[in-house]
Amino acid sequence: MNAAEYTRNDVPDEIVIRDLGVTFQDNKGEDVQAITGVNLNIKKGEFVSLLGPSGCGKTTLLRCVADLQEPTDGDIHVEGMTPKEVRLQHKFGFVFQSPVLFDWRTVKKNVELPLEMMYQTKQQRSERADEMLEMVGLTNFANHFPNQLSGGMQQRVNIARALGIRPDILLMDEPFSALDEFTKEKLHEDLLRIWRKTNKTILFVTHNIQEAVFLSDRVCVLSPHPGRLSAVVDIDLPRPRTLDMKETPAFNQLVLKVRNSFEGGSFS
Amino acid sequence: MRKKHLALTEKKWFQILFWAVLVIAAWEIGATAVAMTKRTPENILPHLYQILAAAFSGKAVSGGMTASGVVLTSAGATLLRALGGFAIGAGLGFLLALAMKLSGLVEKLIFPYLMLIQLIPVLGLAPIILAITGDINRSRLVIAAILSFYPVAANTLAGFKAVSKDKYDLMFTYAAKKRQLYTKVLIPSAIPYLFTGLKIAAPMAITASILVDTLQGDGGLGCMLSQSLKHAMSIYVFWLIVFFSAFIGIFSTYLISWIEILVYPEKRSAAGIGRSAGKEKKYGRSTEKNRTQKEPGPETL
Amino acid sequence: MDAAQRKIGRRKSLARRLSEDKKVQAAAAVVLPVLLGILIFGLWQGGVLQTIFRTDSFTLPAPTRIASLFRDNFGKVVTNARDTVTVALAGLIIGSLLGYGAAILASFFPNMGKGGLSIVGAFASIPVVALAPVMNNWTRDVSTEASSRSMVAKILVVMLIAAADMGLNAYRGLTELKPYAKDLMATYAAPRRMVFLKLQLPNSVPYIFTALKVSVPASIMTAIVSEYFAEYITGVGRQIRENIVLAQYATAWVYITAACIIGLLAYVILMIVQAAVMKRYHF
Repeated sequence: MNAAEYTRNDVPDEIVIRDLGVTFQDNKGEDVQAITGVNLNIKKGEFVSLLGPSGCGKTTLLRCVADLQEPTDGDIHVEGMTPKEVRLQHKFGFVFQSPVLFDWRTVKKNVELPLEMMYQTKQQRSERADEMLEMVGLTNFANHFPNQLSGGMQQRVNIARALGIRPDILLMDEPFSALDEFTKEKLHEDLLRIWRKTNKTILFVTHNIQEAVFLSDRVCVLSPHPGRLSAVVDIDLPRPRTLDMKETPAFNQLVLKVRNSFEGGSFS
Repeated sequence: MRKKHLALTEKKWFQILFWAVLVIAAWEIGATAVAMTKRTPENILPHLYQILAAAFSGKAVSGGMTASGVVLTSAGATLLRALGGFAIGAGLGFLLALAMKLSGLVEKLIFPYLMLIQLIPVLGLAPIILAITGDINRSRLVIAAILSFYPVAANTLAGFKAVSKDKYDLMFTYAAKKRQLYTKVLIPSAIPYLFTGLKIAAPMAITASILVDTLQGDGGLGCMLSQSLKHAMSIYVFWLIVFFSAFIGIFSTYLISWIEILVYPEKRSAAGIGRSAGKEKKYGRSTEKNRTQKEPGPETL
Repeated sequence: MDAAQRKIGRRKSLARRLSEDKKVQAAAAVVLPVLLGILIFGLWQGGVLQTIFRTDSFTLPAPTRIASLFRDNFGKVVTNARDTVTVALAGLIIGSLLGYGAAILASFFPNMGKGGLSIVGAFASIPVVALAPVMNNWTRDVSTEASSRSMVAKILVVMLIAAADMGLNAYRGLTELKPYAKDLMATYAAPRRMVFLKLQLPNSVPYIFTALKVSVPASIMTAIVSEYFAEYITGVGRQIRENIVLAQYATAWVYITAACIIGLLAYVILMIVQAAVMKRYHF
């Protein structure tokens, strides 16, 4: 436990997940349990990763928090409200795996889109979009169209757009999984910098152990069939984190600890 | 030397020039052969210069008008109706696609009939529609509208349906109103599909309008075409109309491509414009594929 | 909100559950259009449709009258339908083969070939109305029989339309390959012929059907329109026109019905062939 953890104990829980379960119907009409019995508390300003192989229900869990998926059991409270109430107040920023940019809008207009939903004035939108693009380092590309940008740059626009609405919580669904290693590392550093600056609560879905350990305060390990929370590993690496930390024994031990916490000791 | 030759065939202007020269040469060889063997070569394959001469000659062929004058005045009547029918058909097609997207009930009711229109030889209905409306101008409008309606409605609907689930999810997290979902996502996404439909519809509307002309002797390109075939006026009017109608058929498609570039800003940046006459992109095969291909953009990462 | 309340909140209304049931949806997709069709036929039979279109039952006769005339004239309808189908089918087959051949040639010389296909596309953009008389003039000396030289002229028009559709689509099918597919063939040192047979040809199959889905209805439409201009009076389209000129509207509707049936049947057959072929290629 380091100093940051102690101070965080005084912080109230931002997201409370109780006995959460989601059951889908497959094509044959049979019930399939996507996740079951998940209990998790996330504190304000905390960076939490949901880690697991495909089919473990990590994305389903994230979508439940975002109100994109209705849970069949249990409930979720965010700042004491239901996910729907929180969504309607524009307190979520959601970053999808694909950038989901609109081809016919310039980079800047893409960032302005959610602000239009909030009925902000043209000037407010423009200023906020400029501010966000500066934060992700894309000021010079404001008037480009998405298809003129590389994958990494598109994902930055996606992040800038999610942060533009000043959300309390940033929900990220494998945002970097389609990017190459170099771009990914650069965006990791950027994301941590932005997180420190804005003090958002981040819930981050990934299937990459190193990524989860490097970014998070806590890594929640999920196992499939049915999807369930099988372990929570505290990551007590000091902050701010730097890329050379990935070479330290402490980092590698944490990676090993996370790896071993999968049931059966491996991804299977 | 070999390299230079390769570079030349990659040039667009060279390809156009090459084929233009080839087609003209083939035409002229054919015309010369016809001129030597047939009694009335101008009915079968006149020389191109003869057609050009007819176009620019000041000699009156009918009612004190030159050949070009006849073609252009009759084209006015035909094309205006085609345009009117095209606008009505395209407008209704777009609205129907929107209604089908808004309401599952409307979609279920109408969709099979929409497919049916495509399979019915609508141009075959031209005479009966003329009989029902009793007015050549109105039947030009109606047939051009029916023909424009299907490709626009079907393609626009395909455009609405091609919007990815991610985009709906994104708008949902923004707590977007239904109206905002339509104005900011669905309609802009469907616009390239709408234009695919318009590109197919435009030449069809023109063909329809010309066909209706031939049914009644009330002026218009088709009427002049029939009359000149029956030697009521110079046969070169016929050839001028063949060239002119081919030109406007092709030109209409390009015109719509240009309008699309004006309307759809993303098209201006992506250089993939002027894809050949749009014939190869029809309902069912989406244009999405062309648009989502990553352009080689600046790399800073 | 306690758990019990939320459970109630999640219970869906009957209407919502019905609209989400897949079987109900599938049934509605059949029942609703059929009901609409019955309604339209009812209005037509009852003379309401005629009022809506501001016409009379002479110009737009009731369906039962058309049906009975169809029965009475069945032999003549079949003869004319056979002529139309012959033209459409012959033009479609010859044109599609030529178009595919042109696409193969163009795929060997992609730079120049593409331009050549655009030329074919441009020719096909000439309105049928203008093409048909040109073809009539060109085929004057093919035969002394008006019926056969008319047939050839009509086939030529259909052929051009079908060839353009097939050429443009098949070219895409032969050249728009999966990324690295050609490189993979190169690593096998596959000769050009094998690349064509094992890669390009199968890849073009779905594109062939894309072309046919457009060119089958287009062939029928073109056949019908070129009949208007043909020297020899035959075919479903020509009969529509001739009967209207004679003010025999009911008979014209019999041939309109025949034209619609031909269009529908052709498409159904195409769909069946497509399903069979696609299954073989496992698309």
